[in-house]
Amino acid sequence: MSGTPVLEVRDLCKRFPVGGKGPFADKSWLNVVNAVSFRLDKGETLALVGESGGGKTTLARAAAMLQPPTSGSVRFEGREITGLDNRSLKPLRRRIQMIFQDPYGSLNPRLPVGAIIAEPLLVHGLGDKAERRQKAIRLAEQVGLKAGDMSRYPHQFSGGQRQRIAIARAIALQPCLIIADEPVSALDVSIQGQVLNLLRDLRDSRGLTYLFISHDLAVVRHFADRVAVMYLGRIVETAAAETLFDAPRHPYTRALIAAQPVIGRGKRMAADCLPGDPPSPLDPPSGCPFHPRCPLAEARCRESKPELEGEGGHRAACHVVNGGGT
Amino acid sequence: MRGPMADTAESMMALALKRFRRHRLAIAGAVVLAVLASLAATAPLIATILGLDWEAVDLLNRFAPSSAAHPLGTDELGRDLFIRLLYGGRISLLVGLTATVVAALIGTAIGLLAGFYGGRLDALLMRFTDSVIALPLLPLLIVLAAVDLDKLGLPPSLVQSQYVSLYRIIAIVALVGWTTVARLVRGAALTIRERDFVLSARGYGAGGFRIMTVHILPNLISPVIVATTLSVGNVILLESVLSFLGLGIQPPIPSWGNLLTNAQELIWTAPGLAMWPGMLIFITVIALNFLGDGLQDALDPKATD
Amino acid sequence: MSRFLLHRLLQSLVVLFLMSFVIYWLMGLMPGDPIDLMISADPKITSEDAARLRALYGLDKPITERYLNWLGAAVGGDFGFSRLYAKPVPEALLPALANTVRLLGITLFLSLLIGLPAGMAAAIRPYSKTDYTINLLAFAGISLPAFWLALLLIIVFSVFLGVLPAGGVAALGGDGFWDQAKYLVLPVANLTIASVGGHTRYMRAAMIEALRQDYIRTARAKGAGPARVVLGHALRNALIPVVTIVSLDFGFLFSGALITETVFAYPGMGKLIFDAIMGNDYNLALVALLFVTLLILIGNLLADLAYAWLDPRISYR
Repeated sequence: MSGTPVLEVRDLCKRFPVGGKGPFADKSWLNVVNAVSFRLDKGETLALVGESGGGKTTLARAAAMLQPPTSGSVRFEGREITGLDNRSLKPLRRRIQMIFQDPYGSLNPRLPVGAIIAEPLLVHGLGDKAERRQKAIRLAEQVGLKAGDMSRYPHQFSGGQRQRIAIARAIALQPCLIIADEPVSALDVSIQGQVLNLLRDLRDSRGLTYLFISHDLAVVRHFADRVAVMYLGRIVETAAAETLFDAPRHPYTRALIAAQPVIGRGKRMAADCLPGDPPSPLDPPSGCPFHPRCPLAEARCRESKPELEGEGGHRAACHVVNGGGT
Repeated sequence: MRGPMADTAESMMALALKRFRRHRLAIAGAVVLAVLASLAATAPLIATILGLDWEAVDLLNRFAPSSAAHPLGTDELGRDLFIRLLYGGRISLLVGLTATVVAALIGTAIGLLAGFYGGRLDALLMRFTDSVIALPLLPLLIVLAAVDLDKLGLPPSLVQSQYVSLYRIIAIVALVGWTTVARLVRGAALTIRERDFVLSARGYGAGGFRIMTVHILPNLISPVIVATTLSVGNVILLESVLSFLGLGIQPPIPSWGNLLTNAQELIWTAPGLAMWPGMLIFITVIALNFLGDGLQDALDPKATD
Repeated sequence: MSRFLLHRLLQSLVVLFLMSFVIYWLMGLMPGDPIDLMISADPKITSEDAARLRALYGLDKPITERYLNWLGAAVGGDFGFSRLYAKPVPEALLPALANTVRLLGITLFLSLLIGLPAGMAAAIRPYSKTDYTINLLAFAGISLPAFWLALLLIIVFSVFLGVLPAGGVAALGGDGFWDQAKYLVLPVANLTIASVGGHTRYMRAAMIEALRQDYIRTARAKGAGPARVVLGHALRNALIPVVTIVSLDFGFLFSGALITETVFAYPGMGKLIFDAIMGNDYNLALVALLFVTLLILIGNLLADLAYAWLDPRISYR
């Protein structure tokens, strides 16, 4: 890999205050994303996987500067973007776009589809009214909608069609990076494939880079170039997609893969096959955060946090599989 | 899990309309209001047709009972009561509507700012709103209505205008009447700003003003409409009580409230004069309340059908 | 809990303080200051005399200075002199306060006595005939202009029937229970009719909400009879919002009292404030208005406390 990465995240942390408001309240902090680092090269698709509550969405929003990170660095095309105000971020926002999980919540119900798709153009003052309208129709056709749909409202469409609208809106500004937060998990399985194919076609034709978030490993396996597995706000393993699925190293990754339904489409969650519940992020375990549920846990796992280590782009954060004494 | 949505915009409207139609009282309210409003609006025309004048004094014909010439009789100066009621209705309805709309605009602006920006601004604005709510409303309005506008440094052209009492009452009602809408809008804005479409708008760089006006405001308009409808009635009551106490609309401009001021003084000689203005206020306010209640049910997304 | 209470108390004091300044300022904007009134009463006062008097009373000083002087005196217990009643402000205020407390106390008792059961009856079977009738009456009560209702009551009971006095209170030495009570009948009736509709609607809404909860369905499923469900389970939960709203509604009730007292010439706080404002008795108006504000703030504080006390889920840290 060479050249400047599209997105480079280093030691990113995001925490939220919990507890009361006001000057007299006691505050404690919820560490949702904890010292996460990764890089994303042009044209690459990186998938973030893990159970819900693992901090994937927060990480995505912090990387997109929608919820500014508490600490750490986010570089977009080599330029540090943390700490920028809204005015300086605005030109960058043209280059980074998001697609959300719930296509029912991500479209303003009071705007017709044409206005929804054209809004980013309007916000950035691109073209006059007629040009924006023409552009919106072209975008709609690219994602498989009809020109006649422009004056209809979001609730008149199915979930899959709505996600197409959201995708048309996301590519309207010709971004180079798209952060897609569970873009297909709210859709019927039969529709998921169509939307994934659309995303893949757009990647190929427009040279898009994706940060792709999912808890569905089957989707990730066929869509991502590289995969990062998150557990309790940390990346515990990262590797090329093929490698990760063929030779997972971290016990959490193995549990996730083992929990996948092999035949049929039973929506079995990974948590069913792991002993116990994910611990509360308010009171994280000492040492390796995974040790209370880990079949391989040893004494040292309770005491020190493992680092993300490994060779050839395949790295895992686990004392046991990384071997070596203490 | 929501399945594919089969319903269309028309069917959603139809559903709301269907729920509204179930409210026979709300429909009756709407009809009554329409009749009253058109009567008030065409008062000059009706006066011309009947050959009556709201200002014409006829001292030989004081306290006349109802007759062909004077449908509801005359007052202590022999003026025709029916036409004065219509003109009073013009003022009362106009003041009620204008003051409510101004108050709703103020409330919407404050609520949107508080709900969208949150944090310190929200805390400040909401403490301010709480404080205004905690004030003794009517006594304070009386003070405001009695304030000498000259001393406030307003231009004389405004202070001496014959409609100054009209402007004043609209201003003071708007000044204290915005709190309900402000809290409502703030609550709704707090929820809506967390929705993904707002996040998405921020994601493509939309500014605060655009997000508030295009993405948040249109999505909280129905509760605002309901609250506004319900408060028009309250404002009409406030206007009439202030006018009744001699602090609202000043004679010779008639309003339903100040028509009752004289009626109280004449209660022993002509008790009938107190009947009609109050009845019209009552009918208008109850019609507005029925309408608001019906709208609330029709527009309430939680309502089951 | 105590921390929360402290926070709210501080907040109320700030509101009271700001309110006192705003009202003081507004009083200064009233037509005619005390010297103008003296001039109109005594034509021999020259403009030089007036200027001297203004300086004497400190009226030529800036508003903030005058306000601080007033505030200092008020904190020291000196509330000034009432022009209208020709006695110190507290002495003018207290009898009026007693009259208003009597009026509002009886009204609130009657209004809740009628409104709460009516609201419950309506809520037990929503959209039934009973509910419909109660709702209609409640709406009528809310929509009635209180001052017009007062006029109607006077017309019927004083003008036509002549059974009750149109206003005032019993003359001094007017003994006997009825002599005293008959002056209260119409004001109490008026204010009760004006407020019972609101109480009924609150109770109905709160009860419908309470009956919608899951634990009510559970109680029903376990075979609890309707009376037991309503009285034993739902009532307590329905009362929480109602108690809060009733305490918060004190300002509204007082506005009603002002109208009622003025029309019936009943010498309470409301009429006193109205007369003081209209009669340029600014010392009295200022103190009386602030006193009512204080009462409303206390009412709000009590509402918060009642809420915390009635609802075990709420803790105010």
